[in-house]
Amino acid sequence: MNKENFLECERQRFAKLIKFRLPHKFMKIGIVIVVMSILLMFVKAFGFKEHAEWLKLLAEKTLLIGMLMMSISKDKVEDEMTIQLRSQSYMFAFILGVVYALVMPYVEFGVSNVVHDGGEAYKDLGDFQILLFMLMIQLMFYHNLKRYR
Amino acid sequence: MENTIKVERAILNLTQDELAQKIGVSRQTINSIEANRYVPSTVLALKLSALFKKPINAFFKLTDDD
Repeated sequence: MNKENFLECERQRFAKLIKFRLPHKFMKIGIVIVVMSILLMFVKAFGFKEHAEWLKLLAEKTLLIGMLMMSISKDKVEDEMTIQLRSQSYMFAFILGVVYALVMPYVEFGVSNVVHDGGEAYKDLGDFQILLFMLMIQLMFYHNLKRYR
Repeated sequence: MENTIKVERAILNLTQDELAQKIGVSRQTINSIEANRYVPSTVLALKLSALFKKPINAFFKLTDDD
């Protein structure tokens, strides 16, 4: 294989990867997983105290997986406009996610110390909180952009 | 960019839904194009051109903002 063929092959593979989307049915599967994860969080909160730690971890991971499925599943009619709206929603989610990760720890620290003396110590956000925020923003922006198109 | 897709569609007696199905997009996309809220790609413009049997610049016009 010469250099040009190799580059063309790589380019095509990359283009295929960029275009990857799950079929539309994964939207429903994602919603079911998200609902079950939220129910699991309630179950963890009101019972199973001895298994609370791993149930929390499981619920967090499945919630993120469900939301990711919703995020990357195709629409019923996927056309160039929905692809553009999806790209815009990812851009907003990324920018707001970075701002959220930078600002929110100071907001939490400030509010906690204003409400009562000797409040919480400063701590960075966890990966779950940031990823959940970004996925929520992406889904919210995408569906709003679609509604107002 | 402004367009006369609505007029061309009326000439062919097509609904937004029928036009959308013929060129493989959603009805909302046709609605957005007609309302000048979305500028379609060259591929979509060529599909419309083939359907209307007219050149693209017969139904898409540049405005002063472009």
